[in-house]
Amino acid sequence: MATSSDGQLRPGLWDTVNERYPGSMISKEDLVPLASLGRPLSEARLAFVSTAGVQPKGTLPFDVVHPVGDYSFRRVPSDSDPADLEIHQLKYPTDGAHRDLNVIFPIERLRELRDEGVIGGLTDNFFSFIGYNMDPGLLERTLAEGIAEAVCAEQAEVALLSPA
Amino acid sequence: MSLAYLKAAVADGDTETLVRYVRLHVGDGDESSGRREIDKAWVQALLPLLDVPEVDREFVLDTLKTKDRATLAHLFFSLHFHLVRESGDWIHDGDL
Repeated sequence: MATSSDGQLRPGLWDTVNERYPGSMISKEDLVPLASLGRPLSEARLAFVSTAGVQPKGTLPFDVVHPVGDYSFRRVPSDSDPADLEIHQLKYPTDGAHRDLNVIFPIERLRELRDEGVIGGLTDNFFSFIGYNMDPGLLERTLAEGIAEAVCAEQAEVALLSPA
Repeated sequence: MSLAYLKAAVADGDTETLVRYVRLHVGDGDESSGRREIDKAWVQALLPLLDVPEVDREFVLDTLKTKDRATLAHLFFSLHFHLVRESGDWIHDGDL
C-alpha cells in the first residue's frame, strides 16, 4: 500500500473525501496530546469505541438514511454474544462482518486478550456509532463528548478507537 | 459537504450544490450513481401503482396532515432507500 512522505496511508484519500464531502473533515488547530497510559496494559481496563454501526438487536437502528447523519451512539455490553448484535451501516461492506463480527467489532478477540492477561479488563460496555456525520461541530459537541463521558463513567483506562 | 457548506448553499440559493449533495448521499459518494439511484426509486414508486390497486389513502393523508416537515422529509429519504432495497438492485456496501 502506498504511503506519502509523512507516512500517511492511502495518500490522496483526504483529497477525495474533501472533494466529495467538502468541509466534512474535522480539523484541529490546537495540538491535542494523547493521554499517557498510567499503568501497564495488562493491568488496565479497556473500552472499545467503533464506528461500525454495531448495536444490540432490538435497539433503535442507526439512522443510516438521514442526509446529515446520526449523532447517537449505542452501548454494546462487552459480554455480548455476537449473535445478539446487528449492524446498521450503509457505507462499508458488511458481508465479512456478517460472517464473523470480529472482523469489524472484535468483541470476542478482546475478551480472549483479557482472559490471557494481555489486557487487564474490559469495561462493561463498548460503544458504537456510524461514521457518516456531515456536521463536524455537532459530532464533536454531542457524539464525541457523549462517548467520552460514557467511557470515563465506565472507568476506562485505555480506549481503543476503531474506524470502520 | 459539511452542514456549513449546505447552509451557505441555501443562503446563496445554490440549488445545484444541494442536489449534488443528495446525489452523493444516495449514491455513496458517486454523483452519477446517485442520479441513477434517484431514478430507480421513482420507478419503484411507480410500479406498484400501475394496476391502480387500493391504497390506504387515509393513512397517507393523516400522516401528511399530522406529522411535522422534518419527519416527512425523513420519511421521503426512508422511502427512497426502502424502495431501492426492495427492488433487489442494491448498490450500497452495507445495509439499512
